[in-house]
Amino acid sequence: MRNKRLILLSLLVIGVLVLAACGGGQPTAAPAEPAAPAAEEATPTAAAEAPAVEEATPTTAAAEAPAEEAAPAADTGAVLTIWADGERAPILEKLGDEFTAQTGVKLAVVQKAIGDIRNDFKIAAPAGSGPDIILGAHDWLGELNGSGLLAPVDLGPNAANFAPNAVQAYTYTDGKLYGMPQATENIAFYYNTDLVPTPPTTFDEVKAMSQEIKDAGNKYGFLTQTIGDPYHFYPIQTAFGGYIFGQNADGSYNAEDLGLNSEGSVAALEWLNSMYEDGLLDRNGNIDGDLMLSAFQNGDAAMMISGPWALNGIREAGVPYAITNIPTGTQPGAPFLGVQGFMINAFSKNQLLAQTFLQQFVATDATMQAFFDEDPRASAWIPVSEKIEDPDLKAIAEAGNVAQPMPNIPAMNSVWGGQGDAITLVSTGKLTPQEAADQAQAQVSTAIAGQ
Amino acid sequence: MSAATQKVSGGAQAPPDAGSHSILSLILRILALALIDGITIWLVYQMVFDGYWPLAAVLALVTIWVNVVFLSGRFYPLRYVAPGLSLLAIMVLYPILFTVYVSFTNYGTGHLVTQQLAIEQIESQTFLPPDATLYNWTAFKNPAGDFMLWMVNPNDPADVFTVTPGTEPAPRSGEPPAEIDGYQQIPSNQLFGALGALSSLTFGVKPDNAFQVSQSVLGQAAQYEQLFVYDAAQDVMIDQQTGEVFKSIEGTFTSAAGQKLSPGFAATVGARNYRALFTDPALRSTFVQVFLWTVIFAIMSVLLTFILGMFLAIVFDVPEMPLRAPLRSLLLIPYTIPAFVAVPVWVGLLNPQFGIISQMIGMITGGWVPPWFSDPFWSKIGILAIQTWLGFPYMFVVVTGALQTLPHDIYEAADLDGASAWDKFQALTFPLLLVTVGPLLVASFAFNFNNFVVIDLYNRGGPPMPNVPTPVGYTDILATYTYRIAFGASGVSDYGYASAITIMIFLILFIITQFQFRFTNMLEERGRNV
Repeated sequence: MRNKRLILLSLLVIGVLVLAACGGGQPTAAPAEPAAPAAEEATPTAAAEAPAVEEATPTTAAAEAPAEEAAPAADTGAVLTIWADGERAPILEKLGDEFTAQTGVKLAVVQKAIGDIRNDFKIAAPAGSGPDIILGAHDWLGELNGSGLLAPVDLGPNAANFAPNAVQAYTYTDGKLYGMPQATENIAFYYNTDLVPTPPTTFDEVKAMSQEIKDAGNKYGFLTQTIGDPYHFYPIQTAFGGYIFGQNADGSYNAEDLGLNSEGSVAALEWLNSMYEDGLLDRNGNIDGDLMLSAFQNGDAAMMISGPWALNGIREAGVPYAITNIPTGTQPGAPFLGVQGFMINAFSKNQLLAQTFLQQFVATDATMQAFFDEDPRASAWIPVSEKIEDPDLKAIAEAGNVAQPMPNIPAMNSVWGGQGDAITLVSTGKLTPQEAADQAQAQVSTAIAGQ
Repeated sequence: MSAATQKVSGGAQAPPDAGSHSILSLILRILALALIDGITIWLVYQMVFDGYWPLAAVLALVTIWVNVVFLSGRFYPLRYVAPGLSLLAIMVLYPILFTVYVSFTNYGTGHLVTQQLAIEQIESQTFLPPDATLYNWTAFKNPAGDFMLWMVNPNDPADVFTVTPGTEPAPRSGEPPAEIDGYQQIPSNQLFGALGALSSLTFGVKPDNAFQVSQSVLGQAAQYEQLFVYDAAQDVMIDQQTGEVFKSIEGTFTSAAGQKLSPGFAATVGARNYRALFTDPALRSTFVQVFLWTVIFAIMSVLLTFILGMFLAIVFDVPEMPLRAPLRSLLLIPYTIPAFVAVPVWVGLLNPQFGIISQMIGMITGGWVPPWFSDPFWSKIGILAIQTWLGFPYMFVVVTGALQTLPHDIYEAADLDGASAWDKFQALTFPLLLVTVGPLLVASFAFNFNNFVVIDLYNRGGPPMPNVPTPVGYTDILATYTYRIAFGASGVSDYGYASAITIMIFLILFIITQFQFRFTNMLEERGRNV
């Protein structure tokens, strides 16, 4: 009987905890005034849970105990929680030891897949159980800020050491900064040095060389995805003067100025279409990112546009390659700049601690160098990025000099579908470039208006 | 809850007329019921307090019902199913009801938190009035754990004072000492741990001398002022800097000029999600086309898997078949491979350029390869082929099992009558099979109607349709199509709208399956007459 009651009690506790965890998600227009009593009510509940949890689930208690004991002699009892992906979590853990030794504050690093960080944070932060800091991409801003989940970040005394375009990427439409940049990422032009002795500087040359290479019996010259991908198409689009969102004077994107069927955007689709018309690309190819990479690796394709993630595979494949800037159409092609960095939870009770941690322990040469050594994406910290020796990473970083931050406004979410379909429809020859661009423009503006 | 009801049912298993046991069992039963009721009342009270009305109502109703069943002799037989039915109510009915409820709200990106949380969050924003002084602080702490700030005005070295929460500032001069009035200066290696406490405190006395430390820069403090104040009577948020009023409109505090405060909160929006569903130009123009393909896909998937599975089952039912057992096992392999592994593999095999299947087709046709992914027709063929491959083992297993139940005597009678194999199949085997397998075919139809994985992994519903107002592909089924509308391309989630769509799909599927069940009932009657 006693056992049964214990089980019952523990089940109940679990039930209550589950309900409590779901709490933030429950959409109820609760009256505002019982805020204080509600908080008081919650306390006895928690008190009632505590003994039961200790009795029924000793594992939880055991798991929590070391966390308490690990607090050092300084005995501040404070904990700063940070969610990071598998590549950067170990570095933060090492940094945490140093941080704890110096400040008496424990750094709890929780390792999560990058997509989970974003999704779990959306649920946990408003429920009050989120971390103090998350590591993520700057284009989450539109979504996370739209729900008021992020606090502005102050870069501190070393603000000038951050790459300006990376800082720009974390600046939201309200002009405030919502993240401390750590790494930047952009795509560049890869070419096979056996097939392409001198790299093309214009897209016309890309096409002419593709013709020669194809005539010489190779499968493809320049290869790109037939499954429309606005991210990989953007450098071509901008090379011909096209754009997705117009920029305001301060560099932020203007959701009202959508340029999917602007003259330049259509010209870029025209160029793409001419590659198919001339048989240099295959309309039924169903080429996705993976196939493009493997075609380059085994020499079937002589040129492509891809990112630093392609490097390892290409190096292993042993194909002779080099990396250079995106060719020009009417102007230099600008890839998107993706930025990874640290963001602070607006619901955190430790915001000042989080800010100070970032300013004094993360924004340092040693930490930024450690991140770069582990995960060789271009550092957003200028003293580290200046010292890059690897010629490939240098070349990618150089191609990123003209990069434009990927829009962090919510409207960008509506672009991927419509613009992706437009590129596919041109690639497969179902619509003319002008028709496809007009359709994308109409679809995306409808979607933005409906947001 | 589950354990509670199970325990009660355990108590009730004592025979009702077991003499000496009956008193004990009655006491146990009442005790257990009292326990459940007590716990439920407590839970319901908590939930009502936190605003979880739907769950509280369901829990209360289920408990009342359990009480009635166990206290009244009339419902004795129900006691054995009470735990099951209670769980059904809580685990199945409640989620359905909750989905209905969510479909009338705007719960989703930008409206994730409750109004209460949103108000707290907006009210926590502060601003620095233009004439305010930004002080530098040094923190002190006394043995009782109270904090004190030593404040210095960087622009006026004479403007130095200390301040603790709830007292007026005391003028000081010079550099901060190690100890003052029993307060010790916090050494730098312990300061970090105190930041959480320091930033939650207000130092001094409101309204004229209330200082807070800066939330973003260490060592700064000022008389920050609350930027927004919520007026509960009017349900508006007022900007203290400009006096602008933000009204609560559909879960967002919005100014007359249209400026919106973040975060928004979840609010009921009436039938807006349903209106959007029926008036959305995207849905209106392409719904019929998507719906038709969904039905065709579901029917064809069932038919093809069933025909192939049944054919193989009958073939392997022949006892003389060599290697029957190992071959039967091999045929199950596709069923054991998860679709999200099998589909990408098939997509690779079919790739017109690099796929081995396409290359073989090319060798036979002299170069022509079906445009598996860029042509609507061939995309559909490809999807159906993969779905058939994935699904036939299930039908194979089911039919193999059903064949064992068919009576032998009717076949002997048919043999005596000189029936051919085909006669026996179409007059005996097939009708009798349908009796057993019919309901499973309906279930299979319902599954394929929402077969998200295969469609999405094949080519994300592509190829895209030209000349449509919203991105949609030729092979999109209702599930993939509406998923994209409700959850956007990346990260935007509209749970309210998604719930409305879910309910519409549920209704459509409900109607279709009703017809199908009527049809299988007909089969059953026919089966009895064989």
